[in-house]
Amino acid sequence: MSARPLRDRALAWVGRLVDASARERILISVTALFASLLVGGGLVLVAGLMTTCSAGFVLGGDEYVLGPLVVTLPAVEFALAGVGNFCYNPLDVYYHLFVAPFLSCGGGGALLGCEVAWFNFALMLKETTLLLFTGLSVAVAFRAGLFNIGTQGQMVLGALATALVVLAVAPLFPGGLLGAALLVPVGLLAGTVAGGLYGALPGALKAYSDANEVITTIMLNFVASGVAFYLVNNFFQAEGAGSVATRNLPGHAQIRPVLPPFADSTFSLVALLLGLALVAGVYYLLFHTAFGYDLRTSGLQPAAAAYGGVDAERMIVTSMTISGALGGLAGAVYVMMVLGRWRTGLPALGFDGITVSILAGNNPLGVVLAAALFGTMKSGSISISFALGIPRQLVGVLRGLVILFVAMPEFFRMLGVRYDVGEPEHPGGDAGGGEPTEQASEGATATDGGRIDDGRSAGDPARAPDGPGGDRDGR
Amino acid sequence: MVDRRSTEFLAGLLSGGLLVAGLVGLLFVALVVELLFPQSPVSAVIRIVDPSYLGAALRLAVPIAFAALGGIFAEKSGVINIGLEGLLIISAFTSVAVAHALGGAEAGQGAVWMGFLAGVLASVALTLVFAVVTIEFRADQIIAGLAVWLIALGLAPFASRIIWGQINSPSVPTLDSWTVPVLSSIPWIGPVLFDAIPTVYMMLIATPLSWYVLDRTAFGRWVRASGENPKALDTAGVDVDRVRYAAVLLSGLYSGIGGAGLALGQVGQFIGSGQTMVAGRGWIGITAYLFGNYNPIGAFGASFLFAALDALQIRVQQLAFLSLPPPLVRIVPFVTVIVVLALVGRTRIPDAAGEHYESGEE
Repeated sequence: MSARPLRDRALAWVGRLVDASARERILISVTALFASLLVGGGLVLVAGLMTTCSAGFVLGGDEYVLGPLVVTLPAVEFALAGVGNFCYNPLDVYYHLFVAPFLSCGGGGALLGCEVAWFNFALMLKETTLLLFTGLSVAVAFRAGLFNIGTQGQMVLGALATALVVLAVAPLFPGGLLGAALLVPVGLLAGTVAGGLYGALPGALKAYSDANEVITTIMLNFVASGVAFYLVNNFFQAEGAGSVATRNLPGHAQIRPVLPPFADSTFSLVALLLGLALVAGVYYLLFHTAFGYDLRTSGLQPAAAAYGGVDAERMIVTSMTISGALGGLAGAVYVMMVLGRWRTGLPALGFDGITVSILAGNNPLGVVLAAALFGTMKSGSISISFALGIPRQLVGVLRGLVILFVAMPEFFRMLGVRYDVGEPEHPGGDAGGGEPTEQASEGATATDGGRIDDGRSAGDPARAPDGPGGDRDGR
Repeated sequence: MVDRRSTEFLAGLLSGGLLVAGLVGLLFVALVVELLFPQSPVSAVIRIVDPSYLGAALRLAVPIAFAALGGIFAEKSGVINIGLEGLLIISAFTSVAVAHALGGAEAGQGAVWMGFLAGVLASVALTLVFAVVTIEFRADQIIAGLAVWLIALGLAPFASRIIWGQINSPSVPTLDSWTVPVLSSIPWIGPVLFDAIPTVYMMLIATPLSWYVLDRTAFGRWVRASGENPKALDTAGVDVDRVRYAAVLLSGLYSGIGGAGLALGQVGQFIGSGQTMVAGRGWIGITAYLFGNYNPIGAFGASFLFAALDALQIRVQQLAFLSLPPPLVRIVPFVTVIVVLALVGRTRIPDAAGEHYESGEE
C-alpha cells in the first residue's frame, strides 16, 4: 500500500529505454526524429498558408540532361484555390536546418558549387558545445531516476556566479596567457559550484521531504531568474548597458576561439574539448565505477540499491548535485565563451538539454550525437529566419515533438505490427516486448519490475537481482 | 475500501479546515495589528486587503484553480497530466488569436466569446493528443506531459510570429464583467462575488460541482476506481480506457477555460516571450491540488492562496515606503510553492497513477 513516488514511474520509463537494446534505442530516436520532422513539415505548410505571399512555392520545373535526353519535370505550384498560397516550402526549411549550418551553396565554391559556411558552422559548434553540458546534466539525473527540469535555473545561476567571481578576482591576476590559464578555471569552477549547490537544493527537498523534483526544479527556474535579475539590477549593473547585464569580463578571462577560421565567432575549440572530456568522464563514472553502478541501480531499482547498501537520500542529493554542477558549467561556458558577461534572458539551453538527453537515451555518448543534431538545428533556425522569414521558434516546436515521439515507442511498434514491417528487435524470444500482459498475469497492478524484466536481453550490468524489486508492489 | 475513503475524506476535511483556520488566524492577527499599531508598515500591508484586492485575487485564481481541478480528474483516473501548463498556454494563445481574427482591437463581446470557445477547444484537442499517446500508445505520462508543455511553449510564440509578426499579440477586448443586481450592493461580499468577470463565476460553480461529481456520482466513482484499482473496475464491466479518456479530456476542458480566462478575462493580449504569459500557473495548479490533497475544494483554497499572494505582491510594490524590489517580490509565489511542497510532499497519489492499464482482452 506504499505510495509510489514519481521516481518509481521515472525508472519504469528509464528502464524501458535503457534496457532496450542499443539498436532499438537508436531506431526509436531516429524514427522519432523523422516523425517530428514530418509533423513539423505539416506545420510549415500550415504556417505558409496563413502568411500572405504572391505565389505558393513551386516544386519541379528543373531540367535534367540525361545523355541525349532533356527531361523537364512538370512544375507544381502549391496553393489552395480560394484559401491561399503555401508560402513556405518544407524542403527549403529542412535544407536550411540541416545543410546551411555546414555549407553555403550556389556561390560556385569548390565542393559541387558549395563552400563551407564558416559563420553558420561556428554557430552550430557553439550550440553543440553548450548542449553537451546541459544534455549531460539532464542525463546524469535521469540515470539516477530523477527528472532535473531545473538545468535552466542551474545554468542561469552558474553563469551569474562565473561572471561575478571572475569580475571580482580578475584584478588580482596577471593579464595575458598566464592570467587566462588561471582565470578561466576559476570561472568554470565558480559556475560549477553555484550550479551544483542549486541542484543540491531540489535534491535535498526530494530526499528528505519527498517534494516532487519535477515541480520544485521548475519553480526554482523562476526563482533563479528572479534572483539573478535582482542581484545584477541592484548591485552589479553595468553602466550604459541597454539591458540588465554585468560589466564585460576582461578579454583574457574569456574563452577565445583558437582555430583561425572561427576567429570572428564565439566558438572555441577549448570549450568543445572540455565538453567531450566531460562526456568521457561522465560515461566512465556511470559505467565503470562503483558509484556509477549505485547511481544507475538507484534509478532503475531503488529497492535493490537500498538492499545493496546504497544510502538512497544521499544518492539523490549527490546525483542532483552532479547534474546541477554540469548545468552550472554550461552557464560558465556560456558567459566566458559566448557573451563575455552575464545578461538577463539567457537562451533556453536547459530545456533543450532535456530533449538532447531524452533523444540520446540518457547515454553520455548518445548526448554527443543528439547535441550535434540540435546544435545543427539551432544554427539552422537562424538561417530559416534570415533566408526564409520563418520564425526560429519552429525549433522549439520540433523540440517538443521529438520528446513526444520518443516517449511513445509503442506507437511505432503498433504501426510496425499493423503494416507488418516488424523488425526482429526482440532477441531472446522476448516477443512480448513491453506488453504488460506478463504483468497482468502476476495478479498485481502493472509493475515497473515487469517492464524492467523485458530488457533481460540487453545484458545491462545495472540490472540488479529482481528479488527486492518485487517488494515494491506491496500487496 | 470504506476505511480508506473515510480517511481520505477526513484528510480532505483536515487540509481544508487547516487552510480556513490559517486564513481566519491570519485575519485575526491582522485585526489586532491594525488596532494596536495603525501606523506600522504591517498595517499598511494589511489595509491592502479590501474588496478590490479580494476581487483581484479571485481573478488571478482562475487559471490556477481550473488547471488544478482538471489535474485532479486526470490524476484521480490514473493519468498524471503534467502538461497543464502547456494546455493553459495553447488555450490562452488560441483564444486571443481567434478573438483578434474575428474582431481585431474593436472585437465585440460575441467575438471575444468565440475566442474563448476556440481556446477551450484547442486545449481539448491538445489534450486528446496527450490522451491518445498515453492511453493508447502507452507513452510515459510524465515525458508525454513534458512534451505537451514544450510543444505549446514553442508553438504559441511560433504562431504569434506567423500571425502578427511579433511574439506578443496586439490587444483585444476582454470579457465584460457580470454584475448581479441587488446582490452586488451588499457591502464587501457584493463587489467581490457579484460583480466579477464571467470566469470567476465559472470557477465558483466548477469547484463545488467537481467535488460533487467526483465524490457523489457514478462517474466520480469510476474515475477514482480507475486510478486506484483499474482491475476491479474492469471486472465490474466498466471500460477503464474510456473512463480515463473522459477524465483526461475533462482536464483539457478545465485548463482551456483557465487559459482562455487568463487571456480574455484579465489580460486582453497574448504575451509569448520567455515562459509566456502563463508563467508557471499550470505548475502552481499542480501544486495546488497536491496541497489540497486531490480535493477540489481544497485545491480551490490553495489556488486562492497562491493567487492572493500574487495579488499581494502586485500591491506591495505600490507601497513606496516598503520599497521591496519587484523581482524578488515576484518570486514569492514560486518560493511558497516550494515550501508548501516540502511540507506536504508526502501526499498519497492514486495507486495506479502513472501506469498504463491493459485489460485482459485483446
